Amino acid sequence: MLFRRIYQFLIVYCLCLVGLLGIKQVLGLSDYVIPGVTLIHSTFGRVSGGYFLDVLNTLSVTIFGQIISIAMAFTVGILGRKSSWAGSFIKVMAYNIQAYPIVALAPIIFILLGDGFISRLLIASMICYFPLLLSVLGVMAVPVKDIEHFYIATGRMRWQLEVKIRAFENLSKLTTVIAGSATLAMAGTIVAEFIAANAGIGYSIRIALYQSDLAGILTALFYIGIIISVYQGMLETLGELVKTKWSAPKGGELL
Amino acid sequence: MSVKPWEFRQWPVVILVIFVLFCVSPVRAGAIKVNYRLKWLFNTSVAGDILAVDQGYFKTAGLDVTVKEGSPEKNAINELELGYADFGVASADQVIRALDKGADVVVLAQLFQVNPMQWIYRADRPEIKVLGDLKGRHIGITFGGNDETIMRTLLALAGLGEKDVRLSGVRFDFTPFLKKKVDVWPVYKNSQGVILADQLSREGEAVYFFNPSQFGVNFVANSIVTSGKLMKTHPERVKIFLKSLLSAWEAAMDPVNAAQVLAAVKKKDSQTPDDIQQKQLAATRQLIKPDKGIRIGVFDVGAWKQTETILLNEHQIKGPVGIASRLIAQERL
Amino acid sequence: MRLECNGLKYTYPESEVAVIDNLCFSMAGPGFNAVFGPSGVGKTSLAKLLVSQKDRPDSRILAPGMETILYSYNQERLPGWSSTGSHLDRVCPAGKKKLKQDLIEIFRLAPVLEARFAQLSMGQQNRMNLIRYLLQEFDLLIMDESLANVDEALRETIILAVKAFFPGKMFLYISHNLMEVAKFCKEILVLSEPVKQKGSFMVKGRDYCQGYTLDKKSFDATMLEIMDAF
Repeated sequence: MLFRRIYQFLIVYCLCLVGLLGIKQVLGLSDYVIPGVTLIHSTFGRVSGGYFLDVLNTLSVTIFGQIISIAMAFTVGILGRKSSWAGSFIKVMAYNIQAYPIVALAPIIFILLGDGFISRLLIASMICYFPLLLSVLGVMAVPVKDIEHFYIATGRMRWQLEVKIRAFENLSKLTTVIAGSATLAMAGTIVAEFIAANAGIGYSIRIALYQSDLAGILTALFYIGIIISVYQGMLETLGELVKTKWSAPKGGELL
Repeated sequence: MSVKPWEFRQWPVVILVIFVLFCVSPVRAGAIKVNYRLKWLFNTSVAGDILAVDQGYFKTAGLDVTVKEGSPEKNAINELELGYADFGVASADQVIRALDKGADVVVLAQLFQVNPMQWIYRADRPEIKVLGDLKGRHIGITFGGNDETIMRTLLALAGLGEKDVRLSGVRFDFTPFLKKKVDVWPVYKNSQGVILADQLSREGEAVYFFNPSQFGVNFVANSIVTSGKLMKTHPERVKIFLKSLLSAWEAAMDPVNAAQVLAAVKKKDSQTPDDIQQKQLAATRQLIKPDKGIRIGVFDVGAWKQTETILLNEHQIKGPVGIASRLIAQERL
Repeated sequence: MRLECNGLKYTYPESEVAVIDNLCFSMAGPGFNAVFGPSGVGKTSLAKLLVSQKDRPDSRILAPGMETILYSYNQERLPGWSSTGSHLDRVCPAGKKKLKQDLIEIFRLAPVLEARFAQLSMGQQNRMNLIRYLLQEFDLLIMDESLANVDEALRETIILAVKAFFPGKMFLYISHNLMEVAKFCKEILVLSEPVKQKGSFMVKGRDYCQGYTLDKKSFDATMLEIMDAF
């Protein structure tokens, strides 16, 4: 799965690059507008080391942000799963707030908290929090009657068991949304860095943009794509491992 | 007795008048459509460009010019090459980088005789009289921007290394400077500089401006550019455009026309307070036409060559681009 | 111990037709009883009402001597994160381990204790579900198609074992199997379709226990009596 994600990305990247070079050729554009192969190659060699470290920097923020997001989403989702006033309030608030483009708040966050790690972490967390929360709420609010009935009828139901049952029955959905939120978190972190940070690949892209260095931007996009493909592949693999370990293997033998 | 509409016998005359007016409108009189991309948003710094449209300088010359605002993501030279713009405003470093990468761009006029990119600092700190006075200062720069290039050149000239100063990356807001976390802050003197100076003076704080050109670093700022292709295929159009634009700039920089200019700018930039705009216009005048005898748009060839050398020394271009050959003086058009 | 309904009526929300209309019946004492009728006649609805409305002050359902009524149905599932055996261990009250072992043997589930619930056949799943209910404290256990997908011979074995192991309890066995209810149930509540306007009525079943001898004539008469409702 991991290997597949990487080569899928490479195919898409190469196709886009070929497309760009094709446009350059057809329209007769200079290297200033669309860099040629030589310029891309030389820029790649020049900035690779720095950009790779920058991407890892951004990824670290993404991972931490996602972890915080997942923890918060599960906490709030579990608290908000009941049809009580608090539960309804949480649901309505989550739906409304997720309509806001969080990156638009990035400048304000950077003004208040500075342009360091904490600001980027907060933005990364907020970006993927609301979609995660809505998925968790959706899972936790719907009873799994066929399993929960016995425990309710015999007085054995506890909130921990209820959460465990609902999480287990929707494991695929949860692992999918967690893996999907990785892209969201990464994209949001990069945009936030682009706007106002002082580190990370988004910041490097901003510098490249100031200098009209499209070859540098293409190099940055390459590293972003590779790293996010690896990260998502690892998350999906982890999700499959959790599912395999926790649940019965598919197509179990009938006795 | 009132006349009913269908009894009004003069309808044909009215229709004819409307038709004639429509036909003789300059828009329909074969005006040449031109796109002109600025470097930044509409504000007092582009007073001449605004006035050229507002007071009909382009229209009189037979041009239907659409002036478009710029932004960090928009690059006039890219748009020239892609055909989205016929003329643009670009800084010297943009032009030189473009030439280094094979773009076919020529410079028609140098708008700013003095670069507005300067640094502001509080007057309660010692004035920077020699470059060595930069030592120990906490200096803000935009990493990747031309202010970084300028500052590194200044530090090199002063014989100072990065360990002798403290360099911090700046963002869009002035908070670190206002909170006195950064001593020396990069600004465009005729826009942000005016705002900051005004803000600090309200709090009883005076400021200085550190001007690199006073220390021998002349980094050319905004200039009017077009593509080499347009020069070859439509030289007359280029001449007409430049002449009408520079006329507008001359009028815009004449203090006599200040009220008219501010009114025109106000239509495009309604957010900035009037008193700030007045100060910005005065500051812009000092940078574009520092002396009454200087013709707006004239090239400081030495500054262009110095800019090229700085970019070469900073490894931002691969080799010399022969910038002087790309400066097309108005007389040559 | 008695289960009684006096004029029970129930209409689902947004429905104009009552699924249960003026139901009256009485079942006395412990025993393996049944609710029989065609699909859609309200058997499951009655079962759910017995559980939910028993303790209401205005209820038409009386169950003196019955504190705990459990309802089990054939689509229930055990959690899939552990084996069925470990799940049974966790839900088995103290002091009932022997009972658990005996039921596992009789229900022929010993070979699948290490398997996860999803790996079992439907018949095995239903039996596993029934065992865990039988291990709980109850006065009345409603078994809604709890032996679906189980072969006839094993169903007979299970029903006879349940009757033997739980003589002091009441069971309400919801089933479509005419022969089964006629053979093994003590009292059978027969529900007919509303259009037939035959209402509901009680039939005495043969109530066979382990080691029984089939009396074909009376058995046929019982089945005929039940069929008469349709």
